[in-house]
Amino acid sequence: MLSVTLLASLGAGVVDAGEDGLDTAGRDIWISGDPVDTSTGGGENSIVGSHEIARDVSEREDVSGASPIAMHEIYVGTEPDELRRLPAVGVQRTHAGFDFEEGGGFETSEDAFADGRTTEPATEEIVLDPAVADELGVSVGDTIYVGTSRETAPDAEFTVVGTSSYYSQFLGSETATLALTDLQAITGTTGTDRATFITANVTDDADQDAVRDDLEAEYPEYDVHTSDEQIGAMLADRPVVIASGFTLVGLAILGGTVLTVNLFALVTYQQRTELAALRAIGLSRWLLAGTIGTQGVVIGVLGGLIGLAATPPLAAGLNYLSASVVGFDELLQTPLEVYAVGLGLAIGLGAVVAAVTGWRAGQYARIEHLEE
Amino acid sequence: MARPLEVSTGSKLEMIQRVLRRSPTTDSDTGTESDSAVAVRLEGVTHSYGSAGGQLRTDRDRTVTALRDVTLECQAGDIVGLKGPSGSGKSTILHAIAGLLVPADGTVELLGTDLTSVTDRDRTRLRRRHVGIVFQRFHLLSSLSARANVALPLVQAGVPRSTRRDRAETLLEEVGLEDRTDHLPGELSGGECQRVAIARALATDPDVVVADEPTGELDTATGSDVLELLTDVGRERAVVLASHDDDTLAVADRVITLRDGAVISDGV
Repeated sequence: MLSVTLLASLGAGVVDAGEDGLDTAGRDIWISGDPVDTSTGGGENSIVGSHEIARDVSEREDVSGASPIAMHEIYVGTEPDELRRLPAVGVQRTHAGFDFEEGGGFETSEDAFADGRTTEPATEEIVLDPAVADELGVSVGDTIYVGTSRETAPDAEFTVVGTSSYYSQFLGSETATLALTDLQAITGTTGTDRATFITANVTDDADQDAVRDDLEAEYPEYDVHTSDEQIGAMLADRPVVIASGFTLVGLAILGGTVLTVNLFALVTYQQRTELAALRAIGLSRWLLAGTIGTQGVVIGVLGGLIGLAATPPLAAGLNYLSASVVGFDELLQTPLEVYAVGLGLAIGLGAVVAAVTGWRAGQYARIEHLEE
Repeated sequence: MARPLEVSTGSKLEMIQRVLRRSPTTDSDTGTESDSAVAVRLEGVTHSYGSAGGQLRTDRDRTVTALRDVTLECQAGDIVGLKGPSGSGKSTILHAIAGLLVPADGTVELLGTDLTSVTDRDRTRLRRRHVGIVFQRFHLLSSLSARANVALPLVQAGVPRSTRRDRAETLLEEVGLEDRTDHLPGELSGGECQRVAIARALATDPDVVVADEPTGELDTATGSDVLELLTDVGRERAVVLASHDDDTLAVADRVITLRDGAVISDGV
């Protein structure tokens, strides 16, 4: 039971981590070039002219707004010779979903769009994952070097304006967030205006699927998904992980069932002479099967409830472990559904155990076994 | 002789009434006058294991003659001992009295009803209502409390829960285990387990109690306590006691000696 609820919590956490990154951003439509591989901490910035596409998309009547998002590996550090590599996400502005641990976010400076678009960082503000900030020994208001290589990093200084693990959860590793124009400037992609995604919100009365179809026709070189499809597309990139998760849950259910049933079958076997004696006294097989089966269902359900009760502290413990070892917060999530599934399974398992042990008890409740 | 039982009228109501009736001297169910009636009568009983008439289908390949032309009777209020070495037929006689087997030949009367001439269902019904069985190894369900073990036969009888509970507690009190009602068999001594088993055998207030080596697993002192209890039980019922131990058989009013399935002496 415990293994099932914990594995289900893990599954819920994995899916939720992906959904959080997408849903909290509140984006309905995602335009991307190649399939996004978040497992490597960044994606190909395969959309060219992203600001223009975003502007064109946002001018549609059925779209309320659109913005590009880019990802790139960067180096950050407080000393030119002590730099750390990590994935960075470039966005136009941060939002409430960042849930800043310290400080706040940024908005792209108007200067970034002066004279076309500048090739130098203009906003020069960065949000770091709290663990990275700790590692670098910086806090809000400090400046750090940012660049795409050890050589270029000392050329640009950014101010740390906040700490948040928002995109870290999305990408699965500690991440920095900075203005898209700044990221393009330091990566030298201002000219081609590259981005990984363009995200868009549709108006309240618009049909997401219809907008997607229109955009797909308009930009045949790119993939256009609704947010639900995007989650599916991202999960589809991790078939082994998903398959493993389901396999583990399946094995946990199967293993738990087999072990429990086997245990009760053995206990029943040990009681075979008692059952035979009670049969001799005149008790019916049904009564004996019911008596033993009731014990099975009671113990099955009690065990299940204990497993459920033990789930929150163990999940919290494993979360603490995962946060401290791999920096992944809230890896195990225990929504109500996990408990509902667990309880259903406990009752179901109890019923299976009751049926099997009751049936075995009925088999053993024969006078012949009295002679053993 | 007692009037034959109406085996088909064994309703739950009668059983409940029977259970509620304490320390009966007469059986209102059958009209039998317990003090003077023959509770058990075996006449010309012959049985072989492996023969067609047996329910105990052990060792089918060989035929072992367990009883040879056995005739005996036991009156209500009597304690009859069955003596003999292993394989002499003691347990087989107890099984025949309880209706657990149907002999190949002869008749087995329980309170005037020939068990060999009724259906399996009726034999089971008669056993539930009129026979209490005490085993050598107690055979209590380890997962149930002493009270639940005693009450188990009453569940079968359809006795209401609170009545079952009261009845079980009363019986446990009578066997001196009033402070052990919630204990599991694993928490009880051998003597206490056998007392629980005797209480269970008395749960349905049977007319006949059969006990197979009831002190076989107990030390001498504990065994004599259990025998004293069985003697008390025997004041109102017919008790048939099988043992190869002379001390155990000393409590019997009469000892029947068996050898190779035949009665070689009846201490009448």
